[in-house]
Amino acid sequence: MEENGTHERNAGIDVRASPAELREELVMLLPRLRRFARALARDVHDADDLVQIAVERALTRSAQLRPDAPLSSWMFGIVRNAWLDELRARGRRTRLFAPEESAERIGDASQGAHADLLAVQDALARLPEEQRAAVALVLIEGLSYKEAAHIMEVPIGTLTSRLARGREALQEMLGESTGALR
Amino acid sequence: MNFSDETVMAYADGELDAASRAAVEAAMATDPQLAQRVARHRALRERLRAALDPVLDEPPPERLLEGVRGAPAPRRAANVVALKRKAAPRWSWPQWGAIAASLVGGVLLGPLLLRAPAGAALVTRDGQVLASGVLARALTEQLASDQPRGAPVQIGVSFRARNGDYCRTFVLREQSALAGLACRGREAWRLEVLAQTPAQPAAAADYRPAGSALPASVARTLDELIAGEPLDAAGETGARARGWKP
Repeated sequence: MEENGTHERNAGIDVRASPAELREELVMLLPRLRRFARALARDVHDADDLVQIAVERALTRSAQLRPDAPLSSWMFGIVRNAWLDELRARGRRTRLFAPEESAERIGDASQGAHADLLAVQDALARLPEEQRAAVALVLIEGLSYKEAAHIMEVPIGTLTSRLARGREALQEMLGESTGALR
Repeated sequence: MNFSDETVMAYADGELDAASRAAVEAAMATDPQLAQRVARHRALRERLRAALDPVLDEPPPERLLEGVRGAPAPRRAANVVALKRKAAPRWSWPQWGAIAASLVGGVLLGPLLLRAPAGAALVTRDGQVLASGVLARALTEQLASDQPRGAPVQIGVSFRARNGDYCRTFVLREQSALAGLACRGREAWRLEVLAQTPAQPAAAADYRPAGSALPASVARTLDELIAGEPLDAAGETGARARGWKP
């Protein structure tokens, strides 16, 4: 607990003036960043690499963080941009190297929750990137359309149409078990 | 009343204003189809959350916690020999000798450098590591778009570096596969990075690099050096015709 005076001084300037506070907030945020990255990247190691890159970038760019903006939105944006960088780099590499299709994935799709995670991640992976990001931000991270559009740097109308198309494609891939008219 | 798909979706996501929300709810009371459309949207959200929420309960890996807290956080281990770092001095002979020697016991550079048959693929000169023999020939002659089956060297991406030089990634298969990136200097192909790739099954007689992704260190070097986009087949053929001269 800090003294009142410290809070007073920080108010209105930068509530995260202290790098230690930013780091602690980032630690709290790690589970959500990992979930978001898993929705984008599917592979757990790739996803954690993304989170790690994003954290490094955040710590070096913390001056760009607006004190009144939620840290989570800022971080989701950084994770997503790191993912776009990675996709561009992969696009170059795959001219020679086939994408890392993990053949063992098909074999190890056992029963239960793990199998469902794989089915969902495979379906997400087949979406165009911008639809996947819209779905991940709104349906998985629970952000508002406005927040998601801000993170993706697109107008709300663009966000909603990507979301609608992504949803439709997922419904088709995941089947009517999702329709859930029980 | 008919509601557009986007309206139904926005309702399910809690994005409608009070008046529109009331209108949808009133219609749902008498329109089971509309209720079903809403239920479908909600069920999809629930399914996605059910699949991904368990990630929240996983303890974050130590490397991420260390990265946040400021401790040195190495990326995933890479079996890499960095031949040159930006702004670092070139490897001197003793350094390079140490690298080669340290790896003789392994399968990496020892055989390539020290066995030195006619086809030795790497040589050192003036503190640089240069392509030689089969590797130099492939870098100069082989087109990514037209690779001989079973060739010991597979060419990957060809591109112009920011300094104007032509560079190419490759995979060299000896006892184990090495991946690297070389740039054309005035007289020879200079290696910028070299890394060991995961061992290929011995049965892979007609070796295809598919499935063995470009090692991260090579990919990073590519990303650091490249200016614009990689060469397409025509660009590659043209660069070869000009002897890879900038």
